[in-house]
Amino acid sequence: MYQWSDEHNMLRQAMKDFIAKELVPIRDELEHGNLPPYGLLRKLFATFGMDEMASASFEKRIAYDKAIEAGEVEPSEPKRGEGMDPAFSLIPTIELCRQSPGLVTAMGVSVGLTASAINSKGTIAQRERWVPQLQTMEKIGAWAITEPNSGSDAFGSMLASARRDGDEYVLNGSKTFITNGPYADTIVFICKLDEGNDRKDRKVLSFVLDAGMDGLVQSKPLRKMGMHSSPTGELFLNDVRVGRDRLIGESEEVKKGGRDGAKSTFQQERSGVAAMSLGIIEECLDLSVAYAKDREQFGQRIGDFQLIQQKLAMMEVARMNVQNLVFRTIELAAANTAMTFAEACAMKLYSAQQATAVALEAVQLHGGNGYMAEYHVEQLARDAKVLQIYAGTDEIQTVAIAKDLLK
Amino acid sequence: MCRRAHVLGLDQVVKLSSTMHAMKVVVCVKQIPDPADPGALDPETRTLKRDVKLILDESDSYGVEMALQLVEAAGEGEVTLVSMAPNNERSGLATALAMGAASATLVSDPALVGTDALTTAKILAATIKDQGADLVIAGSESSDGYTGTVPEQIAAVLDLPSVTAAKSVEVDGSNILVKRQTDAGYDSIICPMPAVISVTAGVVEPRYPSFKGIMAAKSKPVEEKLAADLGFEEDQVGWSGSGQEIVEVAEAPTREAGDIIEDDGEAHVKIVEFLESLKVI
Repeated sequence: MYQWSDEHNMLRQAMKDFIAKELVPIRDELEHGNLPPYGLLRKLFATFGMDEMASASFEKRIAYDKAIEAGEVEPSEPKRGEGMDPAFSLIPTIELCRQSPGLVTAMGVSVGLTASAINSKGTIAQRERWVPQLQTMEKIGAWAITEPNSGSDAFGSMLASARRDGDEYVLNGSKTFITNGPYADTIVFICKLDEGNDRKDRKVLSFVLDAGMDGLVQSKPLRKMGMHSSPTGELFLNDVRVGRDRLIGESEEVKKGGRDGAKSTFQQERSGVAAMSLGIIEECLDLSVAYAKDREQFGQRIGDFQLIQQKLAMMEVARMNVQNLVFRTIELAAANTAMTFAEACAMKLYSAQQATAVALEAVQLHGGNGYMAEYHVEQLARDAKVLQIYAGTDEIQTVAIAKDLLK
Repeated sequence: MCRRAHVLGLDQVVKLSSTMHAMKVVVCVKQIPDPADPGALDPETRTLKRDVKLILDESDSYGVEMALQLVEAAGEGEVTLVSMAPNNERSGLATALAMGAASATLVSDPALVGTDALTTAKILAATIKDQGADLVIAGSESSDGYTGTVPEQIAAVLDLPSVTAAKSVEVDGSNILVKRQTDAGYDSIICPMPAVISVTAGVVEPRYPSFKGIMAAKSKPVEEKLAADLGFEEDQVGWSGSGQEIVEVAEAPTREAGDIIEDDGEAHVKIVEFLESLKVI
């Protein structure tokens, strides 16, 4: 039976203390002002040595890969239990999501998506050029796939293009809903190679761009329903010229940087959503239990009413189920294996739905207070909704699960 | 007889050239019931029930931090911990080890139940005496017992100089320069090492345990000892060896409601009268 260990609980407590001291006092500025989240995230990384560990791990891995490339060692599968306890990467997600899930989105896209996309498919030179600063949050990353007319149908409707021009490529297109877009230093831009062929047959390529390149415009943050602590924006590319050194993998082969790369990134993203959901559910449940004990109506505490009890019980059921899914992710990662794509979709679908349902029930339980921004459940309910939309909508997850069952 | 620490006049506080050497600092840490969930008193013994999971006393986290900073400033050395706790409890020790302490000695023995402050000091002193410490640091008082006597008692048992209420400590060759908090400000004290100092809460900011620290803590050595290992007979410790008895425990009086002065246009007069009655104006 998997459960949080003493070490995990120590980390959770340390995270709670850090968040209470550093995040909560500025939460209003993050959620309702214009304070970007990166200063706080960098402080988090430095305080807990996450930057140092990421650097050490990267250096070790790159030295190993160089040795393989030089033929000095044979590639081998990592053994069970090697590397960092996977729970250690999920605990900050859970604890941050209790207060400001947007911070996790901003962090996850920079470290989890952008850095990972380059690290998993890039050449050694590309990895050394961009990954170290992204992994430590010294630089901010954005992963740009969505377009105004291409959301769930990410590849089919994709208009962003790369055209060969001598030894270079010329990139064009518009991207939207890009997390960290307004402030990103490093952008992974996903587009199709225009060779004059039918658009559906075009290869999908990923390029790494730096802020300030000629022809690249990053918009101001967009206004949105929730996740205000995660800046979201648009990117506009107008004849941005790049060399082959910016093509991830320095190869046009699909395996090196196309749909497969994007899909493995989707899978990773989906696992993270379960941990985000757990943080939101735990916080909503704690706040609801406290409110049910404290709030009195009709001469008694509202927790004595069975309709309130039912809400609390259903929240607890959701908490247990989602926690078990998170535990499953940790166990599989510790065994150096992963869920199938369909399983990851199922986990994401269920967790996101439960997070939204629990957060809305928490608002309901808090009554008029719950609808007020003064009460934290109001923010969490707005934040939770996007979990059913980004990283693949509920509908896309459902289709993927069914497709796998019927194959 | 303790060797004396010297109180310097402010004009005598000069920055002496520091000769750094490896520092060995022993920190006394108490593991206490979580103040957020403090449990209950045992009605028979009138002492706090300690059969719950214990945590590092926050007041000791300042001592751990100060010790780590001194070792870091010295460039080499180590911080070790000593603790006396029931049920081989080491959760609080794990926190201090994760912060950066190198090892710990835990004295845990059913025979120690009921041990008073002086005997606690004797046991901790016995644990410390052969460690070759340059400095022993303890919190000024624990957050559960509040006797506030153990650090000075340890110093007396070990025949070491003691400086209380340290707000800052600087190593200078074979001495420490301590700013000792007072009501009026602070005393500057020069004290030879080895010495025992007690630190007040809030003087440094305890670090968070890092990822690496938490993962490393599990494999750091924790030596467990019984009272007999330290040369104590059963009748010297626990209830039988205790020189004190808790005769009564009473609820703290509830705070009385304050006076509310409604402003009928003359409120300021009443407030002035009230402040005058307190002799604050």
